[in-house]
Amino acid sequence: MAEEILRIANEFGVWVIAAILVSLVAVQSIMYVKLAYAAADKIGMSQATCKTAFRTGLITAIGPVIAIFIIMVGMMSVIGGPMSWMRLSIIGAAPTELTAARVGAEAYGVGFGSPEYDMMALATSWWTMAINGVGWLLLVGLFSHKLETLRDVIGGGNAKWLAMLSGAAMLGVFGYLNSGDVVAGGARLVAVIVGGISMVLMVTVVIKKVPALKEYSLGIAMLIGMFGAVIVSLMS
Amino acid sequence: MSDKNFNMDKDWRAPAIKLGMITLLLASVLSFLPVIYLYLVHGVIPPVSLMLKSWGMIALLFGAFYIVEPVSYYAVLGLAGTYMSFLSGNISNLRLPCAAMALDVTETEPGTKEAEVVSTLGIAGSIITNLIGVTLAAFIGTALIRVFPPVIANAFRTYTVPAIFGAVFGQFAIKYPKLAIVGFAIPVGLRLFTTLPVWVLIAASVLGTIAVAKLIFSRETPASV
Repeated sequence: MAEEILRIANEFGVWVIAAILVSLVAVQSIMYVKLAYAAADKIGMSQATCKTAFRTGLITAIGPVIAIFIIMVGMMSVIGGPMSWMRLSIIGAAPTELTAARVGAEAYGVGFGSPEYDMMALATSWWTMAINGVGWLLLVGLFSHKLETLRDVIGGGNAKWLAMLSGAAMLGVFGYLNSGDVVAGGARLVAVIVGGISMVLMVTVVIKKVPALKEYSLGIAMLIGMFGAVIVSLMS
Repeated sequence: MSDKNFNMDKDWRAPAIKLGMITLLLASVLSFLPVIYLYLVHGVIPPVSLMLKSWGMIALLFGAFYIVEPVSYYAVLGLAGTYMSFLSGNISNLRLPCAAMALDVTETEPGTKEAEVVSTLGIAGSIITNLIGVTLAAFIGTALIRVFPPVIANAFRTYTVPAIFGAVFGQFAIKYPKLAIVGFAIPVGLRLFTTLPVWVLIAASVLGTIAVAKLIFSRETPASV
């Protein structure tokens, strides 16, 4: 795409808009943290448990966030800095956002990133990313509380079944998420298998001997899976 | 449990729903600011017909996910967690793993009120790391990226996602080995032997695994169901 288009995508005004949305995400998190602490106090949960939960989320996120960081630096040269910052702070991961930007250009009839990609193409890309994200935001914003009712009905208030229900949902979701890499085979399959086995070993062996590693276990398993895949990809 | 008059509806659900609704609807409106900016500052805005065309094209690709994902993830994310995760995105690679780890590390039973608090805090932690990461990328990313040798950068870009997906699956497979077989077999089988759209695969995997869980649970505890 022309330098001129990327210059406009990086204008100060767009940075300001991006900052507003990034702040909204931060403010929402802080307010839910406050709500959680207030609830914890009334339930009689310890502050230590709350801190551990927060810290675990903070630590477990580090590996995947490094990946997002690297992908985002590449994305900035395509859709500009502020839009990358804004879109990767809200719903829609990098592949979704790049698909939306591309679909916008195609709807207008030019190649994404081609010399014909003009101001109108940029506007259509931005529109498409926005309207796509809003699909999730609106449906979740308006109807999530109905899902709570649905869970009550399915869960039926039985604690053991509710735990098993969320375990089953998790295995279904991650079985699906893994299936693409499993069918693809090669180093991606190796990443899945080595990551999975490492986590099983972390939980059944390593953490029993070194309990301090518990908060890091998923991050460590991810790193081992990643390096296993790299070794296989370098050998083949 | 020493509940100091904790009321699930008044002290958790009502404020969580109010905060979630306000922030997500606000984000919906603010999402269009970049488009409005291009119009006000540069006088460029797609004609309505083009807007509708690209909306139709993108909804065809992702529309089913707007519904399938919140329903599928709800049992794990909980009420506040759902609002937080669908505002901040990156759900499968960040929010779900972090919520699950927070529950594990604090030894909290899923589906309880304690679990709502713990997964909310785990997700909040992951959002903070996420925001720090993307903000660093936005402002000093191009300089900072040079510290990663190409092999390492490529490893993170290509293999962190499959590796964390595999690891989370392993984490739950230990707890429910029978369900792990079901959760693995349904999507892999459907991918190998059918050409169903992706959103059908998610729904079939999640609902199929829950249905088998129900069967197993009913058989093991016949009196309670």
